[in-house]
Amino acid sequence: MNLNETIYLDNNATTKIDPTVVTAMQPFFTDYFFNPSSLYPQAQTSRYAIETARAQIASFLGANKDNEIIFTGSATESNNSAIRGVLQANPSRKHIITTSVEHPAIFELCKDLERFGYSVTYLAVNENGELDIKELINAIRPDTAIVSIMHANNETGVIFPIEQISRIVKLTDNQIIFHTDATQTAGKLTINLKANFPYIDLLSFSGHKLHAPKGIGVLYCKAGTRWRPSMIGGHQEHGKRAGTENVPYIIGLAQACKLAQEHLQTENQIQDMRDRLEIFLKEQIKAIKINGSGNKRLSSTTNVSFQGIEGESIIYALNEHNICASTGSACSSGSLAPSHVLQAMKVPFSFAHGSIRFSFGRYNSENDLQKVMQVLPNIVKSLRKISPFWDSNNETPTGF
Amino acid sequence: MAWEYTDKTKQLFIDALSNKAGTHLGVMENPDAIGEDGSIVCGDAMKIFLKINKHSSDPLQDRISAVKYQTFGCTSAIASSEALCAMIEAKNLTPIEALKITNQDIVDYLGGLPEQKIHCSVMGAEALGAAVSDWAKKRNVNLPKATGHGDLQKEEEEGRLVCRCFHHSDLFLKKKIKEMKLRTVEDVVNATKAGGGCGSCIDAPGGIRDLLREINGKDADSEAPYHCADSNTTHCNLNEQIERVIANTVRPALQSHGGDIEIIKIKDKTVYCTLTGACSSCLGAQFTLKNSVEKQLQDLVDNTIKVIDI
Repeated sequence: MNLNETIYLDNNATTKIDPTVVTAMQPFFTDYFFNPSSLYPQAQTSRYAIETARAQIASFLGANKDNEIIFTGSATESNNSAIRGVLQANPSRKHIITTSVEHPAIFELCKDLERFGYSVTYLAVNENGELDIKELINAIRPDTAIVSIMHANNETGVIFPIEQISRIVKLTDNQIIFHTDATQTAGKLTINLKANFPYIDLLSFSGHKLHAPKGIGVLYCKAGTRWRPSMIGGHQEHGKRAGTENVPYIIGLAQACKLAQEHLQTENQIQDMRDRLEIFLKEQIKAIKINGSGNKRLSSTTNVSFQGIEGESIIYALNEHNICASTGSACSSGSLAPSHVLQAMKVPFSFAHGSIRFSFGRYNSENDLQKVMQVLPNIVKSLRKISPFWDSNNETPTGF
Repeated sequence: MAWEYTDKTKQLFIDALSNKAGTHLGVMENPDAIGEDGSIVCGDAMKIFLKINKHSSDPLQDRISAVKYQTFGCTSAIASSEALCAMIEAKNLTPIEALKITNQDIVDYLGGLPEQKIHCSVMGAEALGAAVSDWAKKRNVNLPKATGHGDLQKEEEEGRLVCRCFHHSDLFLKKKIKEMKLRTVEDVVNATKAGGGCGSCIDAPGGIRDLLREINGKDADSEAPYHCADSNTTHCNLNEQIERVIANTVRPALQSHGGDIEIIKIKDKTVYCTLTGACSSCLGAQFTLKNSVEKQLQDLVDNTIKVIDI
């Protein structure tokens, strides 16, 4: 394994930390190590730095007020805090609406809440990964506390029409809180809450998907939202998330958000690589499916299913060429069932098990794309030769 | 889960992938026995082909001379298949001797498998068992019962197979439901994985839901449905009235301006709609909805009606 030769195409999993982010963080580990809550002037530098960072991130999201930004430890924490906090603040409402394709940080949380007496509606998606607006309207009940719908899907990159969905929810019943998990979109799409998403109450994202380190997340909580903090203790984050602030990581996140804003244009180059890969694969390899391609998607993400072979073995074979990609399918998670997202999209089993995700990022080069195009067709060919579900002589699937 | 494969496992996979000479990958021409296990639904499946030298008088002295396989599955499923074939071929075994190869032998040959991947070795042993049953049928041999191979024998000994994906019998599942006090289908899936693959055994006759009812009584798994306020008659009449006003009053007015209105849904005195035609691009669309459509519905039907443009 040679790190320098690694071709990293798993940017939806995590991203490389930008060197300028590391530089921005450095002084806060050494010189400005003070507790920002302390009274002496030395500590005020730390306090000033995190409040500046908060203002930067508020502007990055287009929030109305700086104190609508709460720093957390991860997007998972933000999601947990958002949903649990709304349920605690609205005890008479016991119903949650979400989708069947959420990240586990929402999906498993909702499953857990069901065990504690809450009822949850999981909205279905169609083959393209789209929600049915009528089903959403149907699902809204007088006791609905929160609607939590992700901005873009981590496995397929499919983007949900969050503006429309949040508008429908809030205009139907203003007491329902609308939350979105924007972990995959922050830094990739312009999120201007004030201008574009006025009906969003809560929004989560994390730093490590946009070239900041792991261990820092954000919960945006619109002023006036009926919500209670989950982390109780000191007065930090205006009492909304107790615990001494993670100063260097907050500074790093602010720098990463600034860079992401500057790099929004490079998303075009990323889309160009993704699109060329998809065109190439469709031309070169039979019996493939690009999941969610009939829909608006993140420009960085492609989720491809190869019929008759299994995803984990593709990933392993790719890694023999130093290529890192991921699978949402069976064996990766230790469970035999394919990804819940692809199942919800009714991708046939013969395809679903052979699904892999490439997610491009700022650091990918033309070379990376060429290397994948060079090796992937042969890998698929070899694995299909091994598979009992593929007839290599006729290049067709066999009976299942 | 990170890859915790042994060098042996990795090597066998790479050998198969590059179709290295001496590997056992591929279809056999005219095999003497075939066995299969797994399915595409579960995410792994193996097909094994045996070439068997037939003894002139005693089928029990037949010997396996060549083995080939095809496998759909992860890295370790493919390596396990290769390992199994190599083990059989190296020993010049009779089919009944081959049955003594267990999944543990495959794991040992590979130098170990991660816990989540043990099922790969089980699949190899099961496919081999099926192939030996195939041979036995063709050669009129009664397989010794103790081997536990072959679906029919399995049923007698271990109960009826309910979940094909994870190989769980009704006896096993009933025992678990009782022991672990499982109440819902989800409990069963979480505890045993049964029903967590293709899910076809959940509602099948004699499936997981039936087993739960059998153990826990009839109503144990029923969930109280939520009663929507929409179902009462007042609302139904109200919806009809709204539709009538839209058809007779609102729509003609909009159409006279080259536009139209599409009703997406009417629920709880809320009309979800969108303006179409000339209206859709009109800057005054929002104004029209609120001040014309909503106002008319409030005046003519009910003054709490809300119109939402979606």
